[in-house]
Amino acid sequence: MRYRVTHITEYLYHEPVSHCFNLANVIPRSTKRQRCTNNRVTVEPAVASCSQSEDYFGNMAYHFEIQRSHKKLSICSESDIKTGPQTLLMELDQGITCGDALAHMATSTDVETLMAKEYLFNSPIIQSNEALKAYALPLFAEDRPLLDAVMAFTQQIFDEFTYCPKSTHIGTPLPEVLEKKRGVCQDFAHLQIGCLRALGFPAKYVSGYIETLPPPGKEKLVGSDASHAWISVYCPSEGWIEFDPTNRCLVGEQHIITAWGRDYSDVAPLKGVIYGGGEAPIMNVSVDVTQVE
Amino acid sequence: MSQYHYNPALNARDEVYDAAGTMKEHWRYLMESLEAMGPEAYQRRHEKALRILRDDGATYNIYTEQDSPVHTWKLDLIPSVIASDEWAAIEAGLQERAELFDLLLKDIYGPRDLIRTGVIPPEALFCHPGFLRPCQGISVPGNHQLILHSVDLMRDGSGDMCVLNDRTQAPSGAGYALENRTVMSRVLPSIFRDSHVHRLALYFQTLRATVANLCTTQDQPRVVILTPGTHNETYFEHAYLANYLGFHLVQSGDLVVRNGFVWMKALEGLSRVDVILRRVDDWFCDPVELRSDSQLGVPHLLDVARTGRVVIANPLGAGILESPIFLKYLPAISQALIGRPLRLKTVKTLWLGDGKDYQQVVSNLDQWVIKPISRSMGLTSQCGALLSNQEKSTLLEAIQAAPHKYVAQPMMSASNIPTFQDGEVVPRPGLLRSFAVASNTSYSVMPGGLTRVGVTENAFIISNQTGSQSKDTWVVASEPERIVTNLPGPDSALPMRDAELISLPSRVVENLFWMGRYAERTESVLRLMRTVFVMFSGEEVVSSDCRRILLNSVTELTATKPGFIDCDKEILYAPESELFRVVTDSQLAGSVRSNLNAMLYCADESKELLSSDTLRVINDIHDALSELDMGLTSAFGSAPEEALDPLVTALMALSGLAQESMLRGMGWRFMQMGRRLERAMQTTTLIRNILVKEVDVTDQNMLIQALLLTLENLISYRRRYRGRMGVQSSLDLVVLDTSNPRSLLYQLEQLSTHVKALPKASETRHELRLEERTALEAETLIRMMQLRTMCLREEGQRIHLDQTLAQLTDVLGSLSQYISDRYFAHKTPSQQLVTPTWGSQ
Repeated sequence: MRYRVTHITEYLYHEPVSHCFNLANVIPRSTKRQRCTNNRVTVEPAVASCSQSEDYFGNMAYHFEIQRSHKKLSICSESDIKTGPQTLLMELDQGITCGDALAHMATSTDVETLMAKEYLFNSPIIQSNEALKAYALPLFAEDRPLLDAVMAFTQQIFDEFTYCPKSTHIGTPLPEVLEKKRGVCQDFAHLQIGCLRALGFPAKYVSGYIETLPPPGKEKLVGSDASHAWISVYCPSEGWIEFDPTNRCLVGEQHIITAWGRDYSDVAPLKGVIYGGGEAPIMNVSVDVTQVE
Repeated sequence: MSQYHYNPALNARDEVYDAAGTMKEHWRYLMESLEAMGPEAYQRRHEKALRILRDDGATYNIYTEQDSPVHTWKLDLIPSVIASDEWAAIEAGLQERAELFDLLLKDIYGPRDLIRTGVIPPEALFCHPGFLRPCQGISVPGNHQLILHSVDLMRDGSGDMCVLNDRTQAPSGAGYALENRTVMSRVLPSIFRDSHVHRLALYFQTLRATVANLCTTQDQPRVVILTPGTHNETYFEHAYLANYLGFHLVQSGDLVVRNGFVWMKALEGLSRVDVILRRVDDWFCDPVELRSDSQLGVPHLLDVARTGRVVIANPLGAGILESPIFLKYLPAISQALIGRPLRLKTVKTLWLGDGKDYQQVVSNLDQWVIKPISRSMGLTSQCGALLSNQEKSTLLEAIQAAPHKYVAQPMMSASNIPTFQDGEVVPRPGLLRSFAVASNTSYSVMPGGLTRVGVTENAFIISNQTGSQSKDTWVVASEPERIVTNLPGPDSALPMRDAELISLPSRVVENLFWMGRYAERTESVLRLMRTVFVMFSGEEVVSSDCRRILLNSVTELTATKPGFIDCDKEILYAPESELFRVVTDSQLAGSVRSNLNAMLYCADESKELLSSDTLRVINDIHDALSELDMGLTSAFGSAPEEALDPLVTALMALSGLAQESMLRGMGWRFMQMGRRLERAMQTTTLIRNILVKEVDVTDQNMLIQALLLTLENLISYRRRYRGRMGVQSSLDLVVLDTSNPRSLLYQLEQLSTHVKALPKASETRHELRLEERTALEAETLIRMMQLRTMCLREEGQRIHLDQTLAQLTDVLGSLSQYISDRYFAHKTPSQQLVTPTWGSQ
């Protein structure tokens, strides 16, 4: 599919910001199933300097500095992206079993497996623990195909957790998410990653967008699409496979990747240091995903 | 046999004696010379060394001590001696090791082939908090990424030198080694000269050249040393090296990123910085991409380094090389990267993240020293054999919870070096820290390095933080050394930029300004106190009116209200306790002690600009300050003013030094402005308090005397006016007479001169700036003064005098504010755009 994505982030400050240094992760990266053919980032007020570089995870990082006093910061990223579906060598219920996958993780010396281990360990937001392991363990029987188990797990999170946009802020501790069984897509992704890692399977956090379709007979509203997050799990026989616990599905063409990392902290859309600004700025995000022929 | 004879410990390896008890040849000359010198002469030299270290301001701050963390650097006069042929082998080993660590660094932040090929297990790198992912791909110009490499070495049981750990974050100690050498060559000149010790100069020349050459775009790059600040344990060294190498010493607040470059906030605006020699740990350096809660960082520094517009040495991220996990895999790493094992031994290291190693260690904890994998984790090394059962199980629990956070190394005892301690020469285990700096083709190693010895014979941790002594390290040549020229070659790296002389960080200039102000403030308060003491204990009776006026002046001058203002009459006759408080109470803002503490703080912040004579006077002030309480308490019965004399003298010496031996640069000017401004303000306050109120003739005479005495004008006045005390004639002398360096107008004239000389933009060369106009206003106000009008009285007050002086005080206050606004850096508070709710890793 071909998409045009417009992602606008706005910060409204209560007091003027005299100066700011920011790092934005808003430029979609190219991946095996996706190519970003065109991108433009516009910042208001105008930047004094900016630089664009590929970061450690291969994401496109956009650094900028603003020197003029402002009470509103707006950053708009427009991209043309071509996506494809995930390709699997085998059906989900036929690949490597959980037991074999763990054995492979323990002994294999192939490069992809060694490098995948980076996503097995604790990261700033995701600290693995026994409760997380216990929550997912029943689904991951030794002789069950790994991806089949992950799909079932994706379904389980969808069934048992309530999507509740106002229920958490980003970085809610996982024990709390697990206990309250509610959250937003970032929380579900973090939770699923935490459980997978606790079981011994490497898992990544993926940020991006998803195309939403308007209810039948209605016009699609501009800006109604959301920034989204899901996961990617490492399966020795297939490589990295993405799942979306918020929508209980295997990730498909309508999922557009911006960046990936160990957790949200590696791919936060915008972070940085500001001088002034007062307390608690108001943030508005608007995302528009349009299919183009 | 004298007590200065050295008896090695039994059953321990010794540097001086071999196993058969024979003295090694390269120690003979030194040991014989020391013995011949005898205990008394040795003791005298030891004291001399202490004095020099103190005068140089050589200090080391110990973090755990709240009250007085500043210690004079500890140097033992018996050097550690290494024969040059053995050193040649060590040096080659250190070079090879530095080369290897350079390749390791390139791989870690590059392709990570060592992980891809299974040489290092992924978790050894990926789980380490020192692995800074944002530093991926940063590249430093030249052949080497690792610029500075240090290791701690000890001689193990088999007699080989063995590496205990590597230091790559911001290795410290080279400056202390240089200071040790400087002191040794002065205190033991003949022994030093005759020992043919390899010189240190070449190392520092290479360091200077290498660092300067890291900038490839400027012929004359601006290099700064970035220090965490005066509270840092090795701050002395930062200032000392900045001075020695001719680099600016800056704190993070002095640096700012603008337009994709790094700049130093200097007096004349922003000056571009090309190279940063950092002494701040890498994860603190940039709150945007590294630790978001860091107060020691410069926002966006990492991104500027990434684009190559500033070069940082060691590069950000280099701290990862200190991970002791690498020591376990070093043989394999070495094989993979240079195709052979390292020549220099490394201590055996087990990593508890490895299953086999874990079993081996926990099954017999007594054999091991357990160390954290990162110094950032707030954990200390623990020696299994020295732990109680309770402590052992606590440690085991911690290990079980996160085994990958620990390594284990066998207990080792370092060989002994003779050390002077409590009047005897005793054997103490020694560690050697080496220093290597990248040069064109390889690494240049400092001959010797910094030796530290344990506090006790069986000390297991040898660190300055535990109070260890240091030693100079002598690599002694069997034949005379090649003379290394100290003169820079024709195309040497760092010719002075014209602007360099005036380009000081604004923070330093601000501190000099305030140093001047505090010094002057203290001096004028002390002078007034002396006057009060002298008058109150003098032959003439001081009336209660007079007492009240004088004591009120003390309160006003020190701004310590309520103090004596409206106090009971009894207190006028027993003012000692309040006066004592005004001098000694450090909690009382405005007291002599708090002013001096503030002044000493400013001196510390601008330390690299102060001459060694100035540092010595600063020491005297420290001394006088610590003896002040005692002196005053015991002196209150008789002549208490004498207790203040040492301080007044030291402060006079300070101002004299500034006048006589400070370069007439901007630093000097700002210090002078501070002094003139403060003296003008203090004199104004004093005159206003003493002369405005109308009193009877006897009191008037006494008060005029007090004023003149305080301003050191009494003698001149008597000469001129033959003892007739008049308000008008005294005002003439203390306000208007510009041949009197303590008169008000003299201060104002000087102020105007200094303000005029400050840097200004070329387009407004002829227009007076706000601060020039204000200085002129102050000067004019006093020049236009008519003494007869000033003396007119209305309702018991010299009302015109009062008004004029009040106006002057306001104008001077504004002037200080304008100078501060224009020339000093003002820190705007910053915050994170998004406050992370998760902890910093």
